[in-house]
Amino acid sequence: MNPIRDAWQSIFRRDPLSTDKGKSEFVFLNVWLHIHPAKVKKENLKVKHTFYLGFITFFLFLILVTTGVALMFYYRPHPPQAYQDMKDLQFVVYLGSFLRNMHRWSAHGMVICVFLHMCRVFYTGSYKRPRQFNWVIGVILFLLTLGLSFTGYLLPWDQLAFWAITVGTNIGSYAPVVGAGIRELLLGGHTVGESALLRFYVLHVAVLPALVTLLTMVHFWRVRKDGGLSRPVWKLKDPKSAQLVAIGAPDTNAALPAVPASQDKTYGLMEVVTGKPIFETVSAEEEEDTVFSYPYAFFREGVALLATVTTVMAVSIFWQAPLEELANPAKTPNPAKAPWYFLGLQELVSHSALLGGVIVPALAVMALLAIPYVDLNPSRRPADRKWAIRAFTLFVVVNVVLIIVGTLFRGPGWAFVAPWVHIAGAE
Amino acid sequence: MERRLPQFFFALSLVALFLMLGAVWQAGTPTWKTYQQEFHRLESVGEPNAAAKSDVLNAALVIRQDLLPGLQRVDRCTTCHLGVEDPTMKNAPQPFAFHPNLAPHVPAKFGCTVCHGGQGLATDKQNAHGRVSFWQEPLLPKEYIRASCGRCHKEGEVPGVPELTDGRRLFETQGCRGCHKLNGVGGTVGPDLTEEGAVHRAPAWLERHFLDPNTVSRNSPMPNFHFTKEQARALTVYMLSLTNEQMGTYYSSVRLIPSAGYGRQLFMEKNCIACHNIGGVGAKSGSDLLGVAKEHSAGWLDEQLVNPQLIYPGSTMPEYDLETNARKALIAFMASATADDAQSILSQRTRPLTPEDAAIEAGKQSFARFGCVGCHGLQLQGGVPNPNSQGGEVPSLLHASDDFTKEEVIKIIQNGKVPPVDNPAKPAAPLYMPSWKTVLTDEDIHRIADYLWSLQKKKDAW
Amino acid sequence: MNINRRRLLNWGTGGLVALTSAVGLSLGAVLRYLTPSVFYEPPQSFKIGAPADFSFGPPTFMAEEKIFVFRDREKGFAVVNAVCTHLGCTVGYFQNDERFHCPCHGSVFAADGAVLHGPAPRPLEWFEVTLARDGQLRVDKDHTVPASYRLMV
Repeated sequence: MNPIRDAWQSIFRRDPLSTDKGKSEFVFLNVWLHIHPAKVKKENLKVKHTFYLGFITFFLFLILVTTGVALMFYYRPHPPQAYQDMKDLQFVVYLGSFLRNMHRWSAHGMVICVFLHMCRVFYTGSYKRPRQFNWVIGVILFLLTLGLSFTGYLLPWDQLAFWAITVGTNIGSYAPVVGAGIRELLLGGHTVGESALLRFYVLHVAVLPALVTLLTMVHFWRVRKDGGLSRPVWKLKDPKSAQLVAIGAPDTNAALPAVPASQDKTYGLMEVVTGKPIFETVSAEEEEDTVFSYPYAFFREGVALLATVTTVMAVSIFWQAPLEELANPAKTPNPAKAPWYFLGLQELVSHSALLGGVIVPALAVMALLAIPYVDLNPSRRPADRKWAIRAFTLFVVVNVVLIIVGTLFRGPGWAFVAPWVHIAGAE
Repeated sequence: MERRLPQFFFALSLVALFLMLGAVWQAGTPTWKTYQQEFHRLESVGEPNAAAKSDVLNAALVIRQDLLPGLQRVDRCTTCHLGVEDPTMKNAPQPFAFHPNLAPHVPAKFGCTVCHGGQGLATDKQNAHGRVSFWQEPLLPKEYIRASCGRCHKEGEVPGVPELTDGRRLFETQGCRGCHKLNGVGGTVGPDLTEEGAVHRAPAWLERHFLDPNTVSRNSPMPNFHFTKEQARALTVYMLSLTNEQMGTYYSSVRLIPSAGYGRQLFMEKNCIACHNIGGVGAKSGSDLLGVAKEHSAGWLDEQLVNPQLIYPGSTMPEYDLETNARKALIAFMASATADDAQSILSQRTRPLTPEDAAIEAGKQSFARFGCVGCHGLQLQGGVPNPNSQGGEVPSLLHASDDFTKEEVIKIIQNGKVPPVDNPAKPAAPLYMPSWKTVLTDEDIHRIADYLWSLQKKKDAW
Repeated sequence: MNINRRRLLNWGTGGLVALTSAVGLSLGAVLRYLTPSVFYEPPQSFKIGAPADFSFGPPTFMAEEKIFVFRDREKGFAVVNAVCTHLGCTVGYFQNDERFHCPCHGSVFAADGAVLHGPAPRPLEWFEVTLARDGQLRVDKDHTVPASYRLMV
């Protein structure tokens, strides 16, 4: 009866980590970690399959939340104090410019990584049955990320912020019927002013992060329920032996694959509820390569977290986030550009407001959302999906090209200029 | 890489630690700390007492700021410029040098940037001096710093800055208002100049513009007024003072500096010599003002100016409705006025005008004040180029009576006139006669016409 | 894929040590970050004017700065805080009894700041007053001095 040891064990209740039971309990007795399975297949840990992009996006989000909360101690969402607070962060607050840089560069990073993550999920066919709806949630998370970046863009209240949001909200107002109304709701008025800043601030620090958190929880939960992280099953010698069963299929008995019992192992069984079991079968060859999450999976996640954090820190030490002059509603910079991830949109809008600004983007988003329900090819092997891959690649390339054109090839009056002219003669 | 993942993790951890140390080092070694340490070293030189010397050398390094809510600024210049109020630092190198002639504009009440320009919020040299992109108010060159006096002292004279008064006078007499609005009054051919000092803060640009507008503004319709360098400098200084900024009541209360010189000007303007005398020189119906500041307190004199009936019921002295600083200026003048001053004032008095002369004089004043001279010239000679108008230039008004009746001229002033175009294929002429009926009263317009006609008669008389 | 447990744990532990130091450093840095470097308040150290501006006898009250400035012919200048040590009201000086009276709860202080009467727990604070290089008096509210402190000018 050792009171100290009892006290310790009242907090840390698992068996020692040297035992298998301890390693398992480390996962499923821990509120922060228990979304992980106690054991993972080595295939789930392959860097070259997922590139850990989902993790990296999530870690960037965590960096954004921590640095964001820190910045909230010094930032007032009211013009013109907002701009003065940005200057104070840069000149007076200890580590102020470092934290602000970390926040800005993580934001850009998160937009890029969430897009890359979407591409990866597509190219590995990981949206196919039964993961269709998780793809939909992912697209929504992507749009929420863009929303977070857009609302945050206004907060420095400099010329860049003011006019980017003026252009951005004007693009949105072209939506038929609801466009003008949404713009008025967002701005709390007819132009970008005090009300807009406050609303964007509330959206940016409270509403959108809450939505992202809630949907991320669902997103992670579904990954787990759908059989864990994506792995290249088509590379197994007998891929048919590793198949997924649809959740909630009306006749679940018929859905079970016919696999010899001796080679069959149920893995990741959560619970049997109302006769709708959730199974994933593991082939015999994969079973040999199952390892405990502690320490292997967590170790790799830790490396991903560390790589993300150190990259953001390094960039933040050497590159300053921009801050232009105080927002001046009377003086429009020429050209006035939306944030870079909307420049493709602005390029489209410059050709046609309704078609380019509303119809094409709406169709693109709807197409993205529909992918898992339209692509009924059950195979995830790249060789079997050539046209799907080509179509998606085209979509990615068009987006990237539009953004490049909007960034480098458009000068004053949105006229076409050579990139070197544009960069040299800015302002 | 997979094989060596544990080593990679270790290496990354070290990198993270070093980056954190780097960020902390970067945040902990700003340049202002070096400057402060250097200043403390300077301060401690020649300090015999070892304990005091050590106190100074080890004094805390802190950012110093002057909070100026009335000027809507925060100035941190004194973080590095530590010797501005320390006379012993007269010969110290910058940024530690003493600032002579500071009072009453001490940093605690005025900061530094409202006079010198620069970015008060910054704490490193380049950003603080404002010589960076996206900061519109860089440090003013030395010879133009006094233009900032005009940002607060908007009326009367500023001792030591004749350029402000000269510039203001040139603006009003050369007809600038004919094309440029200032504080709501003026023409619309050129840009509104109410905030010119905030928009254009490069003195070199402004000065070149006054010497020859076309060198900085291509194809500008502004004519070359052939200003001298001194005149261009005065106008530049005046422009730099036009910042139209919001200021707290403490700062706007000193629009007028209550100097004796300005008091003398007021004494003449209000024609006090019509009733009073100084040392016997002047009129006798009012009292002798010589030495009046020694007999009565400033408060008494002030009250007399505000309400003459209070102290002397039945007095015929009118109530002049002067503002506080104007009264102070008058009192300052009376404190030093002598009979010689009264003599010189008497000799400069204008003769009384007949009603007709007064109307013509009023018309002449309006003609200059509202900018007509800008296009039609101080001698009504016209001649300002107006490309593609018939005649190619602004017409002279000396022979207006040959082509128009007085009523027609009055109508033109009221409604304006666009000059007929020479070649319809080419762009319209840039200059035109604006409509003045919303700006001038009918009476003013009639007086201007009277003034014009007075000059016509003189011309015909030869 | 090669997963060697021993190698992982050895290097992993080393990495964790480095990381723990980095995290510890970060926590310290965050605390320093949250500590303000500048204050959006009237300054604690300020000039009050030239010595000649202050009269002898009863102290001069400076309302905005909330201080009384004593000037003694023999001993020199002293500056006392006009904020009552009980709950922060501004005390007044009464010439007839040469004492400070607080209007809020009736505390009474002697001319040297000592508590004579009332709920105030501590005597009034005396602030350091020095002569700045331009000849003006500087008061520093960050430095308190004993009641006997005087600045001879």
